[in-house]
Amino acid sequence: MLGAFRSALATPDLRKKILFTLGIIVVYRLGATLPAPGVSFKNVKECAEQIDQQGIYSLINLFSGGALLNLSIFALGIMPYITASIIVQLLTVVIPRFEQLKKEGQAGQGKLTQYTRYLTIALAILQSTGIVALAVRGQLFQNCTQPVVPNDTIFTLVTLVVTMTAGTSVIMWLGEIITEKGIGNGMSLLIFTGIAARIPAEGKNILSKGGLTFFLVCVAGLVIIASVIYVEQAQRRIPVQYAKRMIGRRMYGGTSTYLPLKVNQAGVIPVIFASSLLYLPDLISRLTTSTDAGATPGWWQTFVATHLVSQSSPVHIALYFLLIVFFTYFYVGITFNPDERADEMKKFGGFIPGIRPGRPTAEYLRFVLGRITLPGSLYLGIVAILPNLFLELTGQGQNQNFPFGGTAVLIMVGVGLDTVKQIESQLMQRNYEGFLR
Amino acid sequence: MARLKQRMRRFAQRPGSADLTPYRTLLTAVNTHEERIGALTDSELTEAAKELRERSTFGKDELVEVCALAREAADRALGLRPFDVQILGALGLLEGHVVEMATGEGKTLSGAIAAAGFALRGDQVHVASVNDYLAQRDAEWMGPLYKLLGVSVGWLNQSSKPDERRAAYEAEVTYAAVSEIGFDVLRDRLATDEADRIVPEPRVVLVDEADSVLVDEARVPLVLAGSTANEAADPVIADLVRRLRLDLHYEVDDEERNVYLTGAGSEAVERALGGIDLYSDEHVQTTLSKVNVALHAHVLLHRDIDYIVRDGKVHLINDTRGRIARLQRWPDGLQAAVEAKESVAATDSGEVLDSITVQALLNRYPTVCGMTGTAVAVAEQLRTFYNLEVLVIPSNQECIREDEAPRLYTTLELKEAALVKEIASVHETGRPILVGTLDVAESERLSTKLRAAGLEPVVLNAKNDAEEATIIADAGSFERITVSTQMAGRGTDIRLGGHDGEDHDRIVELGGLYVVGSGRHTSSRLDDQLRGRAGRQGDPGGSVFFGSLQDELVTQFAPDHDSPVEVDDDGLITDAGTLHTVEHAQRVAEGVHLEIHRNTWRYNKLVEHQRELLMSHRDKVLTSDAAWEELSTRSPERAAELKEAVSDEEVLVSAARLITLYHLDQRWSEHLTFLTDLREGIHLRALARQNPLDEFHREAIPAFNRIVPDSWEAAEETLAEAKVGEDGVELVKAGVKRPNTTWTYLVHDNPFSSGLEETFKGLVKMVKRR
Repeated sequence: MLGAFRSALATPDLRKKILFTLGIIVVYRLGATLPAPGVSFKNVKECAEQIDQQGIYSLINLFSGGALLNLSIFALGIMPYITASIIVQLLTVVIPRFEQLKKEGQAGQGKLTQYTRYLTIALAILQSTGIVALAVRGQLFQNCTQPVVPNDTIFTLVTLVVTMTAGTSVIMWLGEIITEKGIGNGMSLLIFTGIAARIPAEGKNILSKGGLTFFLVCVAGLVIIASVIYVEQAQRRIPVQYAKRMIGRRMYGGTSTYLPLKVNQAGVIPVIFASSLLYLPDLISRLTTSTDAGATPGWWQTFVATHLVSQSSPVHIALYFLLIVFFTYFYVGITFNPDERADEMKKFGGFIPGIRPGRPTAEYLRFVLGRITLPGSLYLGIVAILPNLFLELTGQGQNQNFPFGGTAVLIMVGVGLDTVKQIESQLMQRNYEGFLR
Repeated sequence: MARLKQRMRRFAQRPGSADLTPYRTLLTAVNTHEERIGALTDSELTEAAKELRERSTFGKDELVEVCALAREAADRALGLRPFDVQILGALGLLEGHVVEMATGEGKTLSGAIAAAGFALRGDQVHVASVNDYLAQRDAEWMGPLYKLLGVSVGWLNQSSKPDERRAAYEAEVTYAAVSEIGFDVLRDRLATDEADRIVPEPRVVLVDEADSVLVDEARVPLVLAGSTANEAADPVIADLVRRLRLDLHYEVDDEERNVYLTGAGSEAVERALGGIDLYSDEHVQTTLSKVNVALHAHVLLHRDIDYIVRDGKVHLINDTRGRIARLQRWPDGLQAAVEAKESVAATDSGEVLDSITVQALLNRYPTVCGMTGTAVAVAEQLRTFYNLEVLVIPSNQECIREDEAPRLYTTLELKEAALVKEIASVHETGRPILVGTLDVAESERLSTKLRAAGLEPVVLNAKNDAEEATIIADAGSFERITVSTQMAGRGTDIRLGGHDGEDHDRIVELGGLYVVGSGRHTSSRLDDQLRGRAGRQGDPGGSVFFGSLQDELVTQFAPDHDSPVEVDDDGLITDAGTLHTVEHAQRVAEGVHLEIHRNTWRYNKLVEHQRELLMSHRDKVLTSDAAWEELSTRSPERAAELKEAVSDEEVLVSAARLITLYHLDQRWSEHLTFLTDLREGIHLRALARQNPLDEFHREAIPAFNRIVPDSWEAAEETLAEAKVGEDGVELVKAGVKRPNTTWTYLVHDNPFSSGLEETFKGLVKMVKRR
């Protein structure tokens, strides 16, 4: 793989693309550390050190590469854009006008992208207002008494909101130009950058706990990454043949035509769903807890506090694991419909050798899918709860955002693999010269 | 300031179009030379043109001089003095743009001036015409102009012999249909002798009707196929398929692009064929493929729409032009299946030898320019795919054609009734009417209805181009009703009052030519082309389009439209929502076509690159002794043996070359088949969130890398086995034989929906179920 990178750098236009992408990433990181106007950098820093990051915002913070808790100009990260594109995608199946646009091909798609951008801005305004309000009221960092925005006149607050919103639009643009002129998918790369950026800090954290621990964590991390890569690449290939055309001679048989089913067909989505769902009881209990100091918390609030919030509690771990398994099946169930797939194959004259098209094909696909989803879901569950087990073993107050932990590793490996693959395929297209002897 | 404003407007509204201002400056310069050049004698004019050839640079001054000379030459040789706008057009072409000039503005002359300019600059020019007839007509019509400027000109058509082709290509300006140039290029690539190649190094191509060639035609790769002795389609299966019933035995998808057997259908087929298992290994590649192909031929290809049967042969109809595509055949056994369906004699089936897309063909030329009546609508595509800019030339006289609002009816029946009524009422005044139809069958149906109403329409159907041109030239005469498909007679002016324009004034009083579209096309640009037949050169004219909710455009691209709210007694729909449906369907169709074009382009890019590499290797083998050298180092004993048997080493060298070329071409043809196969199922890779295009590359590249080594090995074997006599190596017995007949194929494409879309569709379905 290093060889591939070396030859990628030796190819002029590919090198240009890679350097361009790196340049954009640098810009993005700079923005993520640049405090927004009106924010007291010193106070924010002190506060950030005090809190444990298990709060509601940890997922957003993960995606924004810590920019949120820096209250930087890129505080919102690309979450608004992701949310907006999901909403617009959903709307295409609900609103006839959107559906029409989608069908109109590129021109319509352009319109949809435009709507997505507007929606991103709207969401960004909403979110930044929320965050600024929280920050000013001192709720962003609970237990922290320092004022993060010392001068909270309306003008400063509006400036903050405008800055953060503008920051989000800039990120959106950065992501798009990476996709267009650089290499890889811009949005995913920016998320990747955000997560990867935390590794040094976390590493330092662990190092301070002793050299041996650091060494063990590093080894474990490498093992986890290697096995995640291994499983992510795994797929079951069901051969498919097409019998629509008459071709005199078929030299290569049907070996290159197959229907690939990944072991981890669902990707990282079940993990995200499960962890969001687990935060829900915590959120509800916080909202319902009376602010009176003397009031005794209800039984279920105690339960939530002891068993769900604490990530090292066996109940939490078991629940988390089960939810992930469930969501994996759920996700695969809705995204891969064996009946539709069989139907589509039938329409285009394709079939699985030895199996009749239509119902029998759908049944066969369902059977294979069922078998492959089980190990896939168990794998996802294990990867996701690994850091929690670590906590149990080392007893440290770490959290889900631990760089070698579930979501983070899955995302990083996924994006990394995609990007490397893209570089590789571009390389293949260019490196023909020298083949003709 | 005004310039900035124009620029802003261009930026905002017309992506990809160029600024006209610099050309206006040049035009002024051209006009200043008028007097000086007008004073020259004919021979002095030719001399002046000749002098231009000797200039070392070809800058603005020379550009101006060429146009000034050509203007005068056109006046003297053709009796046509080019208008300012025509000179503007020529300047735009010389700068390598696609110029948009309205119908009847004299594109042919602009093109000829530009072609002469390129020739005087020292570049050979290929003028790519729409069809053979126009290639010949334009070359002959513009001949005197070229002669006066001292530029040689040639043309070729489908029936040109190799010698004539060679002569035509040797001229400085060559007129030919795009497909002819493409096939010559393909044939050249299969030449086994250096001297057999006829197409010169590509320099400049000037594309007539640029939008239809560069955009509509670009979707269809030109495929060269050689005849093989493949088994013909089984009449038993054709017969069997004829007995199957829709929805019971087979189903057709909404887009009418695919047909497939149902469970009951495959059982019926299995019973009829004696209880076989269609899906067993034995029958999959043979019987099942045959049944599927026969079903496709039977259900999806309609006689008189997709093809016609004439003289006991099946002729394809080109769907964008509505005319016979003489050299085209369906690929992969479909042709044979259609022949079995119509019970005509089976012709040879073919194997693909090589293919090229129009896009790749034109991108070979360092300079591409073109002219058309409707370019702005495709400006974006021209820029992405060809790196071309559009230059909009204003019309000489303002167009005063009156375009009426389109009329939409509920059913086909009502639409055609209204159409006939409208035609009859306009006809009473004597005003000439041109009825544009979407396909040949519709032309036939409409003309029958018109005759039943007591009218006498002249019908133009996929006959020969020359005849059509004379008919269409008279379409503007008194009381004339012409029914024609969209492309028929394109490139020929419709003058008011007949081809000589004698009745001009009377027709003008009646309101000029009235164009009636019997249905909307799959793109608004094609609608505009039809409209453009009326109102040329400031003449009056009118146009109206009819449509119905049962038109193919609507049923195919907007099948789930709302039912109309406001309908009057004749079935005319007046509510805005439903009227919008047609425009929506048109945009969907445009999107689909663009997607197909883009896909063809993406997947072909790699194939083109591979072809280039292979061709350079092939060239080396063809033009040097490389084959003999390589083979004799590979098996020195055999080489020594051969040298003893044959005294003349030249014989061995050429035999080695032929053998190597044969195996190379064979491998390439196989590689293309492999790529087609690969392409068919590659979309499935998206299921594992892999990019199908990348995966395509991943498979195609190693396969390509094996071609050259494999061909050497095979050549070595052939050489080892070949019998050698004193007078050479017996190649045919060693299996080295080449196909002697060639055809072209039509290739279609299936874009698939993305994974994310599937996800949300699934979600919605789940929600709806509860």
